[in-house]
Amino acid sequence: MAASNPFPLSKEALLTCYRTMRTIREFEDRLHVDFSRGDIPGFVHLYAGEEASAVGILTHLGDGDRIASTHRGHGHCIAKGVDVVEMMKEIYGKKGGCGNGKGGSMHIADLSKGMMGANGILGAGAPLICGAALAAKFRKKNEVGICFVGDGASNQGTFLESLNLAAVWNLPVIFVVENNGYAESTSRDYATAVNSYVDRASGFGIPGITVDGTDFLAVYEAAGEVIKRAREGGGPSLLECKMVRFHGHFEGDAQTYRAPGELEDVRINHDCLKIFSAHVLSAGVISSDELAAIDKSVLALIEDSVQQAKAAPLPTLADLTTDVYVNY
Amino acid sequence: MSEAGSSCTPCIGVIANPVSARDIRRIVANAGNLQITDRVSMLLRVLGAAGSMGVKKVLMMPDSGGVSAMLLRSLQRELQLQHNFPQIEFLDMSPTTTVNDTFLAARMMRDAGVKAIIVLGGDGTHRAVVRECRDVPIAGMSTGTNNAFPDMREPTITGIAVGLYASGKLSPAQALVQNKLIEVSINEGERRDIALVDAVISTDRFIGARALWKMENLAAVYLTFADPQAIGLSAIGGLLQPVGRREPGGLAITLSDDPLLCRVQLLAPIAPGMVRTVGIAHWEAMPANQPFTVALGAGVVALDGEREMTFDSGDRVQLTLVEKAFPTVDVAACMQFAACNGLLRLSSQPT
Amino acid sequence: MARKISMKQAVNEAIDQEMSRDPTVIMLGEDIVGGTGCDGEEDAWGGVLGVTKGLYAKHPNQLIDTPLSESAYVGAAVGAAACGMRPIAELMFIDFMGVCFDQIFNQAAKFRYMFGGKAETPVVIRAMVGAGFRAAAQHSQMLTPLFTHIPGLKVVCPSTPYDTKGLLIQSIRDNNPVIFCEHKNLYALEGEVPEGSYTIPLGEANVVREGKHCSIVTYGLMVHRAIEAASTLAKEGIEVEIVDLRTLSPLDMDTVLESVTKTGRLVCVDEASPRCNIGTDIAAQVAMHAFGALKAQIEQVAPPHAPVPFSPTLEDLYIPSAAQVADAVRRTLKGGKH
Repeated sequence: MAASNPFPLSKEALLTCYRTMRTIREFEDRLHVDFSRGDIPGFVHLYAGEEASAVGILTHLGDGDRIASTHRGHGHCIAKGVDVVEMMKEIYGKKGGCGNGKGGSMHIADLSKGMMGANGILGAGAPLICGAALAAKFRKKNEVGICFVGDGASNQGTFLESLNLAAVWNLPVIFVVENNGYAESTSRDYATAVNSYVDRASGFGIPGITVDGTDFLAVYEAAGEVIKRAREGGGPSLLECKMVRFHGHFEGDAQTYRAPGELEDVRINHDCLKIFSAHVLSAGVISSDELAAIDKSVLALIEDSVQQAKAAPLPTLADLTTDVYVNY
Repeated sequence: MSEAGSSCTPCIGVIANPVSARDIRRIVANAGNLQITDRVSMLLRVLGAAGSMGVKKVLMMPDSGGVSAMLLRSLQRELQLQHNFPQIEFLDMSPTTTVNDTFLAARMMRDAGVKAIIVLGGDGTHRAVVRECRDVPIAGMSTGTNNAFPDMREPTITGIAVGLYASGKLSPAQALVQNKLIEVSINEGERRDIALVDAVISTDRFIGARALWKMENLAAVYLTFADPQAIGLSAIGGLLQPVGRREPGGLAITLSDDPLLCRVQLLAPIAPGMVRTVGIAHWEAMPANQPFTVALGAGVVALDGEREMTFDSGDRVQLTLVEKAFPTVDVAACMQFAACNGLLRLSSQPT
Repeated sequence: MARKISMKQAVNEAIDQEMSRDPTVIMLGEDIVGGTGCDGEEDAWGGVLGVTKGLYAKHPNQLIDTPLSESAYVGAAVGAAACGMRPIAELMFIDFMGVCFDQIFNQAAKFRYMFGGKAETPVVIRAMVGAGFRAAAQHSQMLTPLFTHIPGLKVVCPSTPYDTKGLLIQSIRDNNPVIFCEHKNLYALEGEVPEGSYTIPLGEANVVREGKHCSIVTYGLMVHRAIEAASTLAKEGIEVEIVDLRTLSPLDMDTVLESVTKTGRLVCVDEASPRCNIGTDIAAQVAMHAFGALKAQIEQVAPPHAPVPFSPTLEDLYIPSAAQVADAVRRTLKGGKH
């Protein structure tokens, strides 16, 4: 007998969220494998381990809401509804990718879905989202802007200036600090004078809250409140998600700066997918068969996207100088 | 100095929780945010004062929420300026910056034989410490959201009082006072926990972001004491039928929005800056050692403001008030005694 | 005959008319209104030199004073442009580009390319350029080459009130990021400007004066130095042709090459610091594409490779003069074949 659902999302919504998180996880873990084989050009920065943050927050958004991401942007893209096949093609540098192969992993965007781009410049998304939120105010549609930064980028001038700007203009912005403890190989304790992003926000008169970023339900609840407040004209807020990243800063990073045993520990004890599954299974809302079916279907999606990416044509000389300008 | 005291070289423990005052009530209410810099300033004051009373060593809980890192940086400065600072030793544990750190730290400090534990945090943090350290007296300082339990007091004075007790200049009879708590038991002890101020039954059925803020979901409130000057859910009792910290018994209140069941509509300050109408169906005294069984079939038990224990229709949830359950340092009594008995006079002659 | 207004008023009119036409045209900048949050006069400044004075009264929802945060508000203008608005961000002095350059050259300039042709970023960044105000090294630069170097940006620098209004209206309507440079020493210059709205295409140079002996290619304040030099040279029987580039990126090399092919001589006059400035760029392109037409060495007139000095005597020596331009022209005639 199915138990009644104690959670604030319907069973369908929970399954969708699980699917999205699982899609991010398999997408990133697959890139990890393919990158180490030499299939992927350039740099990739993987989001595995951090899925609950992207999905717990972005589930509340529509296409008219905008987000700006970091260099570690695949998770935000997938959670915002960017097409997985187009993303894979872009990462492989192929035509038909989100940027027709001209942007790559760090610059995946889909403006039609409100995804203003992963960004190779850390902290650059903060002013851009202030602009998106300003445009939202002009449009008067109760839309919001969400800016993701890492604990490292929160030390950039652009981030701090944007906190101030959002506060003085009462912009519907949510600054999300994805605090995984490392700015590349530097720990946040070293790099950040006072290790509390909530305190930074309060220095600008912006309320902030800290949430366990490995627990989808905690993120979902907290995000729901801050987004609601922004939509209702309550202005900016800061949401700090404490989380763990499974892979290195970039692929190829040996991660020798992490404590012995830490990488195993995070996969066993702080895996947001396991934590989510435990919640829904123990409440009897979803069965392990249902989760397994999703896992299987996601693996097939990822495999298909890799095959399509490998098969897609590379851009040619004719593509080299197109789209520099809209028109000359 | 007693022999027993000298076998414990860290005389006192300090637990400063960085996650207190960081939850949704900053968004849905106007709860403040006590900055890390302010918490560290409180720590420096309490530690300096305890040191000046003869406390030589302090065991501290490490954290990854900014307090320890900033304290260490500040201590480097302080040690060049001051002479009486105690030696700080961090517990050998890996912080997760969740309440589990507090449980573990309290256990480790109890096992190390500290004379007292100074706690910086809200009601939830103090609950977590008491649950694990039980007989070790605590001295609380408020940095949380509602702060019904801990004192709002100048840290320097808390440091002096705890220092006097820990260094043996005050006896337990002179320095300590006993407190009530509520024991929560699900299925005859299958799961257990405690609350220091309030145990609240909510129709929420998941823990999620932990803090309790949806007033429409509250079913019942059980209080160890009800102070009319407190905010938070205990204010419901405080403004209905006050019960002092040292008075016997507590208060059990059933809430209802149903106009047929609601006897009283009460305006209560249930969160900082938030005064709301609460519908009350029934209330009665909660005598010690008498289990109250929760009527609601499925929901969550929130302890001192945070959702902690989910329960279902097959679970039997019982709450029992316990008196004289755990000791705290009575800072006011310590200071009064110290003043009247010349404890802080440097002359060696008795008064 | 059209009435005469100053270049400053031409800027004001262009923005006014575009804001009336299109409510998504907004402007962000420091003190562009002035008095925000203060107890005194609203619209107290209208820009540090009063260029935007009076606009707030007509378009109160379209001008927003900003905090002292170029990164944040220039970035916000870029972000709003990517979300369907047509913002103008005022960078008070182009010298301040250092604190916000990333938002311009890594974000605005590259969105269209990186996102595979699926982004439009119609932002205009207006900035004051140029020396002569005794404003010293950090408020007097002509940093145009730093922007022309970046693919994805358009760069405009008009020399007359007429060109200013038409080019600014066109820049606002252009769907690419445009850096619109206004020479602070030309703000007071008056000229004939139609009252109605009109546009001048970007990427089109203007032959200000025709002549057969030598081509002077220049822009901005230096156009007027060239005109002064031309008048002196005419008395010596030397007729120079003056090409005012107007748009620095994209460059109208067709007009430049046509002129040099005709005259066989080239003098580039550029107020920007001499290393890698627009003049050297033009000189290299002419040498590559019209070497056979040249009858003499190419001459450059530029300031020395030094920061802009403060002291008036020094600053006046720093800025290229009409006399230096005339000398450069004479050198092309002396040094080369006839």
